This record gives sequence, C-alpha cells and structure tokens, in this order.
Amino acid sequence: MMLMPPFELHHPKSIEEACKMASSFMELGESFDWVAGGTDLLPNYKWHINVKKHVISLAKISGTDTISMTEIGAMARLNAITESDDVHPLLSEAAAKVASSLIRNNATLGGNLCVDTRCFWFNQSEDWRRSIDWCHKEDCGTGSDCRVIPNQNTLCVATYQGDLAPSLMVLEGIIHLIGPSGSREIPAEEFFQLDGITRNVLEEGEFVLKVTFPENVSSRVGSYHKLRVRESWDFPEAGISAAWIPGDGSTLRVASTALESIPRLHLEQVAELSGEFNSNQIKSLSEAVMKSIKPVNNTTLPPRYRKAMVKVLAKRSLNQILEASE
Amino acid sequence: MVGEAHVSMIPTTPKKVWSANVNGHAVQALAPSNAILLDVLRDEVGMLGVKRGCDLGTCGCCTVLVNGEPRLSCLCLAGQVEGDEITTVEGLSEGAHLAPIQTCFATHGGSQCGFCTPGFLMAAEALLDSNPEPTREEISCAIDGNLCRCTGYQQIIDSIEAAAEIKRGDAPAPTPASNPHPNPHPEGPDQPSMPPGHAR
Repeated sequence: MMLMPPFELHHPKSIEEACKMASSFMELGESFDWVAGGTDLLPNYKWHINVKKHVISLAKISGTDTISMTEIGAMARLNAITESDDVHPLLSEAAAKVASSLIRNNATLGGNLCVDTRCFWFNQSEDWRRSIDWCHKEDCGTGSDCRVIPNQNTLCVATYQGDLAPSLMVLEGIIHLIGPSGSREIPAEEFFQLDGITRNVLEEGEFVLKVTFPENVSSRVGSYHKLRVRESWDFPEAGISAAWIPGDGSTLRVASTALESIPRLHLEQVAELSGEFNSNQIKSLSEAVMKSIKPVNNTTLPPRYRKAMVKVLAKRSLNQILEASE
Repeated sequence: MVGEAHVSMIPTTPKKVWSANVNGHAVQALAPSNAILLDVLRDEVGMLGVKRGCDLGTCGCCTVLVNGEPRLSCLCLAGQVEGDEITTVEGLSEGAHLAPIQTCFATHGGSQCGFCTPGFLMAAEALLDSNPEPTREEISCAIDGNLCRCTGYQQIIDSIEAAAEIKRGDAPAPTPASNPHPNPHPEGPDQPSMPPGHAR
C-alpha cells in the first residue's frame, strides 16, 4: 500500500475562480499542481514524485468537456473521444489506443497532453530512487547526475509518452491555454519544449483549456500506429501519426511520439518530398523519419528496437492514409 | 461524529465531511482532502468489496461505478466525485439474491481466488448496462483494464456472455452452485458489510 502524501485539494467551479486561486497561491509562494483525471498525477504522487502542497482539480468546472469536429475541451474524457462520432476519426483511433478502457474513463485530453515524461530511473518508489541516489529529474536537492546519460546535468532525457499529441500535430491542432496573466493560443507542435523537466510552454498557473482545429480538418485522412508491450494496457514505446488531405502532397504531416522528451512534427523530412506524395516515397520518408529521432535507453524496450520500429510504424501509417485516399 | 479533525503529530491533511450516494444510500464520512475514493469507500464507508490491488490503475480490482460509469477508485480523488452516485460490488445483489452477473461468475468458473472478481463484476455490469448484446470481442475490450491471474479470462468472458443472455431474457437465471446464505447481511441489506471506521 502506498500512502498518499499530504496535500489539500481545491475545487474551483469556474475558469475565473481557478485562475484566481492559482494567482493567490503564486502570491503566497505556495506550490500547486493541476489535476484533471488524475491517472498520471496520482500514481506519481503515490511514489512521492514532485509532490506539491496544493492540488487544484478542474473536474467541477462545467463546459470544458465539449467535443466537436473543430473543438475539444481539455476535460473531455478519452472514452468520450473514443466513442464520439463527432470528432476526427484519427483522434478517436488514437484515444482508443490509450491504456485500458478503465483508465480512459478517468483520463482527459488535457491530462494526456501534459502527461509527465517517463523514465525507468524516475517512475519508481521513493525508496528505490533513494537507493540509487536519485536522478537529475527528481534530484531532491542533491544535484544528482542523469542515470541515462551520465556526466551531464543540463538535459533531462525522460521520454514523453502521450498518445494524442502527434495526432493533434498532424491535424494542425491549436492548443488554447489560460492562466492568471490571460489566455493564449499555440500550435500543437510548439507546445512542447525540449527537456524532460520543462516539458512544455505552460507557465506557472497556466492550464490547457481546449484544442481547436481548422475548419477543413474533416477533409484530412489520418492514421496512428503505436508500439507497446501489451496491447491492452501500456504507454507507447513508439508512435507515428500521419495525415494529409487526399491528393495534396503539400498537406502531408508526419509526427512521432514516445521516442524523445517531446513529440516531434517531422516537417523537414516531409519537405524533401517537395509537395508530392505517392507510394514510391513511403520507404524513403519512413527511413528519413527513423534517422531523425534518437531514442535513449529509459523505457521498457531497447532504443535500437524502438528506432527500427519507427520505420515500420511510419510505413504502416503512410500506406494506410494512401490506401484510404484511393 | 461529523466535524473537523486534525492529528498534529503526523503530517497529514485536515479531515472534512465527504458525502455521496453509495449503493443507493446517502453517506457522509470524514475524509482528508487528499483521500482517494478507494480509501474512503473501504475505511470510512465500510465497503470492503472494493479491493486494493496495485494502487496504480493497472489491475482494475478497485473498479466502482460512478454515475453508472466504471472508474478506478484508486486513481480518483474522493473530492472529485463528491455528491455522485457510487455503486460498489455490494450494491449489485439484493440481499441474498445475487445479480445475474454474480451467479454466472459462480456457475461458469469466472471467479477462482476471487480477489479480482469485484472489479470484473463492476466492469461487466457497466458493459451490460450500455450494451445488452456484447460480442466476445467487445467483452474483452471492456475488461482490458482488469487483471486476473487465475482464470485465464476465458471463463470470465463465458460468464459475462451468459449473464448478458439472462439480462436480455434469452435464458433463465441458472441455479447457483451452492445455496445462498439465507441472510448474508445479518444487520440487514441496508447496512454496509462492516461498520464505518472498523477497517482501520
């Protein structure tokens, strides 16, 4: 049995109240976390990872779980996205591949985007981590070295293992953030920031409000393929999402997840196709995507295997969107 | 007793009154603000049918229905479901009369050591409520968050298929493998299986 560390849970009823609460904690200098579904935060808390004094729940704020083709609220549950006929088929396909049906009943879109980066030196109990003298991501004030790539204390290489981010990128999703200092919009591919500790552009007190898509999103055809150990329940070990507007090679987008500290949109590799996309280019594009990523040894499967599988997953995704377009 | 309680010796969170509707009864309990639903249901409400397995959302033993949806009570803060309708495995049967899904688990070997069974029952009940005619594929999707180390899952899927037939009225309710105890809840079906607070 794991004891939950002490913290106080707060339930704002509106977005304004949540922002006010966040700014008052910031003024007081008290640390706090947001919780949506809790499927990522609560296991980490039980392992005493990054525990804060206050937790603000977004569960009681109404109107943040809307689901439509062009807009999905951050509190939309993944099962609702899976079962909805209104969302883009790529999103319901990707959401259906997240963990198990029970987890998907708790988990939300916003939580999946902001999921903490994972590493097998980090996602362990407190005693386990103490026994190896901690790690760079959670050094507990000791200035510990990174256990994956030793002798560097500048970059955390923990892996981002969210499933929905690459699909949002290939569908040109815009992430809407809100916080005490106002709201802002940011394209999905710019939301993530390279470092396993920084993770994303969210500033203190900010949270994800919703994700919107361009009007023509329904004309895009997409596919998401995921590598995992157990088909019914696991974080992705590699994931490739691809989408395009059939017939228009310039609209092709390919994104990968679960390979580095951030999910990546592969613009350069796609640009090499110079606006054309047909079955002859699938092999070279898959290889280019594979060569551009550098997985490290910090998840269940070895990095060489994950890297090799990127080519396979990319081929499957690209073949599927090409076949679906014919 | 309902009110504020705080033990200053241990670093803990002050307790507050938590209320919800558990198995059709309005329940009030004293729960710390950081409590997970699993702890409140087991320790304060006395619903010991909710099992603590992995505590991390892997095994599904702690599944309960929140407003009719199966949720993992170990990954759910009690405060987030305050005021909601919660059904635990104790809420399935009516006194000595087991629900069809429970009888089928008994007759088809869906339960062996029994630790995972409450979780499977709740996940299956939620499936049958929303889909009265599930295929084997749909059943395995619905129970993909529950782990069982004894049965190998085939008997569990058989049990859920049989329960679906009974629920639809296509088959008569089977006679249970053994006679049910005439009075499994000595203090009456309205009472929880253990008085609040006793589990501590």
